[in-house]
Amino acid sequence: MTAQLDLQQAAEVVNARQADAARAADGSLLIEAEHLVAAVEALRDDESTDLIFLCNLTAVDRERHFELVYHLQSLDLNHIAQLKVIAADREDPAVPSLTGVFHGAHLQEREVFDLFGIRFEGHPDLRRLFLWDGFPGYPLRKDFLQMPGQIRAGLPGFPHESEENAWPVPGSVPQRPLHPNDPQETAVAVSEDEPDESTEGES
Amino acid sequence: MTTVDDTRSALSGTIETLTGDGSEPVVVNLGPQHPSTHGVFRLKVTLDGEIVQDAEMRIGYLHRSMEKLAEERTYTQNIPFTDRIDYLAAMSNNLAYCLAAEELLGVEVPPRGQVIRVLFAELQRVASHAMANGTFINDCGAWHTPLFHMFRDRERVLDMFEMTCGARLTTNYMRIGGVAFDLPDELLPTLRAFLDEMPDRIADYEALLMENEILHARARGVGVISAEMAINSSLSGPVLRATGVPWDLRKANPYCGYQDYEFDIPVGEQGDCFDRFLVRMAEVKQSLRILNQVIDNIPDGPWLADVPLHARPEAGEAYARVESPRGELGFYLVSDGSPAPYRFHCRPPSLINLSALKEMSVGGTLADAIVTLGSIDIVVGEIDR
Repeated sequence: MTAQLDLQQAAEVVNARQADAARAADGSLLIEAEHLVAAVEALRDDESTDLIFLCNLTAVDRERHFELVYHLQSLDLNHIAQLKVIAADREDPAVPSLTGVFHGAHLQEREVFDLFGIRFEGHPDLRRLFLWDGFPGYPLRKDFLQMPGQIRAGLPGFPHESEENAWPVPGSVPQRPLHPNDPQETAVAVSEDEPDESTEGES
Repeated sequence: MTTVDDTRSALSGTIETLTGDGSEPVVVNLGPQHPSTHGVFRLKVTLDGEIVQDAEMRIGYLHRSMEKLAEERTYTQNIPFTDRIDYLAAMSNNLAYCLAAEELLGVEVPPRGQVIRVLFAELQRVASHAMANGTFINDCGAWHTPLFHMFRDRERVLDMFEMTCGARLTTNYMRIGGVAFDLPDELLPTLRAFLDEMPDRIADYEALLMENEILHARARGVGVISAEMAINSSLSGPVLRATGVPWDLRKANPYCGYQDYEFDIPVGEQGDCFDRFLVRMAEVKQSLRILNQVIDNIPDGPWLADVPLHARPEAGEAYARVESPRGELGFYLVSDGSPAPYRFHCRPPSLINLSALKEMSVGGTLADAIVTLGSIDIVVGEIDR
């Protein structure tokens, strides 16, 4: 059975290479964006972690920031670790590219760039992968679709459920609970009229 | 295989003249409509004579935005999408998605459901590898004879899918918590007859193909990739195992009770196209071995756990993966407590196995590039989603 890598130990491995670059939180290893490449190299080269295989690379739109999710696997030690990096700037999100460490990151980073608009600094060929050049906006962002009746992407409730869970009336804002790791959750209050500018997809 | 569209613009000064005698490299578009691309996939190759100097893929012709659509549908409603991601291995895709959703919901699958899942996942592997090997031999120039031999086997498997769930390709058979229907009475006799017949069939294929001089000439030493490069490029499945890396998620991270079955991981040695073909042929035998163990040990009991259709998982995330016929197929789901996934991501083995396509094909001939592409066994629905 593939074990979960001990994240405290992994954080120590990273922090030995680059102080304060990583910390373990909620099943993931949170890595500071500017130290991502050094951290992944440390995890790959250290014998106790040996994370040589990039399984999966994707992103999640957390509404106030983007979260990059990496799954790294050790084939010999048979453990997996989930890394997370936050791209905080919603207008121009950017994180360092892993293409120098993993050749397999080329296509996956292009896919994330195509669908989320997150730039990967240092990627040698950062172009859209599926959509054509000039496609307006980035479809997997939560604010991409301005649906009829102002309903944003998502399914806030089943139609037959009680009123607070019901499908929102046109014009109202469905508030989604944010991830517990969201650093700004307590700091920023979302105003009611936020979705008015939600067609800003293209940037 | 014709020279088309942007050849002219590509040649106008952007590519240097490579040889001193005034000849220029030629840009050739393979696809999007070309038999060797197995779907709508376009490979733009730059040729010096017959030698490939650069290979660039242009994809997205089949992009259906499934990851976005899935964010507006409930967890159960998303199962049919997974059929259409990899339409040649719908069962495996159903399974991977259901495993991820079960991890989010904390659902236990009853034993009969587990065994039925293994049964159909392995039947799917037999069918998918029949397609992969048949079309690969086709790309090597055998012109449809082995393909239709192997399609006989695939047809038998699809018949079994049809009698169980009513569909042949887009099965939509797995459910969160088990499988949708119990096995029909006629399935096990059909499966037993199939399992009795297959060893002879495979012996026929081996007699026909293993020593075939043309196949060796076309596939041996073509599209070679080293184990280090394969791991670094995140390749998985038969493409990785052909380089000699014994990495199979059924062994490494057993799901659905795979640890209870005896089977081996076939590996190649040289990492070339022929080894990929050999690994797939050997995997079919291992799948039949698993099926022979499954067929006599199907427990009684429920096949589907009691999971509400309107499931609302707790906020959290799950990454579940299976060894699909093409490699590591993973689903990464994020829940925010609402009835629909907040994020639905498929880790597509077909797309990621193409990461090293350029490295495999540059330096070989154009005909070798087609064999290489065939040996990777892509499904364009999964590449583009």
